[in-house]
Amino acid sequence: MNESELLDAHRQELRRGTVVLACLLALRTPGYGYGLLKTLESAGIPSDANTIYPLLRRLEERGLLESEWDTSESRPRKFYRTSERGAALAAQLLIEMNQLDAALRELNEGVPKGGSS
Amino acid sequence: MTDNSLTARYLAAVLRHIPERQRADVERELRSSIGDAIDDRVAAGEGMTEAERSTLEGLGDPARLAASLTGKPMYLVGPELFPTYRQLLTLLLSVVVPIVGIVMGVLELVNQGTIGDAIVTGGGAALNVAVHLSFWITLVFAVAERVDSTRKATEQATGGPWKLEDLPKVPSNRITIGEMAGEVFTLLFTIGGLIVLQNLTWTDAATGQVLPLLEPALVNFWLPALVVVLAALVVFHLVVYTVGRWTMPLAVAHTILELAFALPVAYLALNGMLVNPAFAAAIGYPPLAEGDGPVMLILAAGVVIVTAWEIFDGFRRARRSAVATVAGTA
Repeated sequence: MNESELLDAHRQELRRGTVVLACLLALRTPGYGYGLLKTLESAGIPSDANTIYPLLRRLEERGLLESEWDTSESRPRKFYRTSERGAALAAQLLIEMNQLDAALRELNEGVPKGGSS
Repeated sequence: MTDNSLTARYLAAVLRHIPERQRADVERELRSSIGDAIDDRVAAGEGMTEAERSTLEGLGDPARLAASLTGKPMYLVGPELFPTYRQLLTLLLSVVVPIVGIVMGVLELVNQGTIGDAIVTGGGAALNVAVHLSFWITLVFAVAERVDSTRKATEQATGGPWKLEDLPKVPSNRITIGEMAGEVFTLLFTIGGLIVLQNLTWTDAATGQVLPLLEPALVNFWLPALVVVLAALVVFHLVVYTVGRWTMPLAVAHTILELAFALPVAYLALNGMLVNPAFAAAIGYPPLAEGDGPVMLILAAGVVIVTAWEIFDGFRRARRSAVATVAGTA
């Protein structure tokens, strides 16, 4: 595995957990599959169609998203919206995310958290 | 007219794996998502055909996409059940298969079969049982993987979730002097027994004849040969003690020596070449000297079973000591 493959593999792993949070946050404004893909991409969290579409169904099954078909246009689209439960979970995850970010920052700067050694 | 575009073919390939009640919804959504992606690519300047191709390629293998859309696993036995599955399969294969093979082989011998017949029958039965066991256990676990309540039941039935108490003791790989002495004394005792048997005689009260118990012809070749093999086994156990532990090459050498003892004994027993026929006739029990008599069949089967166990034990010890070496205990 060369350097760029290694980076790709680890970057993908790092992002995997954040895609759920990104979807829940982005879909506080209702959106459909392909539109969400584009939203995430322009927000700097590119993801694959074959990851996002199954994820949307799973999140809906767990009651974190709600869906509704919009058939008013020539192409019918399934719109997803973050449910109350989903929004609450997203808020929690966001706190976790910030804590992780802070912890990694501290590790990187070499300041031990307890300061005992 | 049937729509035979790549998109239609792709959708059909995905939907084949989607349960009926979800199919319409998945089709409608996926169709509009693909349409959106193609439109977007065309708007960015790609040709229609190209846009369709790269969109569908981006979605990847339809079976895989269907599996992740429905949340169905793409494997037979998943990581949660796999350790139990492997444990159960290994246990049953290593216990049931040899037992069935040996029992069927011995039954063949009892039914007047030759050694060759016994090997074919025993081996065939063992293979048959191995295939059946593997298939049915895999099937049960594959079903359990897919039915949540069955999965819980399977986990419970096979010992529940892993506990700290399940940890086996770290095997000690150093052979003790006691173990070595036990093996050596057993062998020396057997050698002594053979020599005593060779010289035992029985005096017929009626005729006053002195009859050797063992077949006299054995003394010329087979008895000395067996004593040599047993002596080699004594040396072998001393070597194992010097090395300190069983290794795979030692287990292989052990197998050869064990077979060099067991096969001739079984051969002699099954051909009625062990006991002096005159002695058997004199004590009024001729089957003692007959190759297809019950006594010799039981003797041959006993030797084969004990030897099979000894060989298995050698490999088991070699494996254990390899594990213990890795675990870092001496």
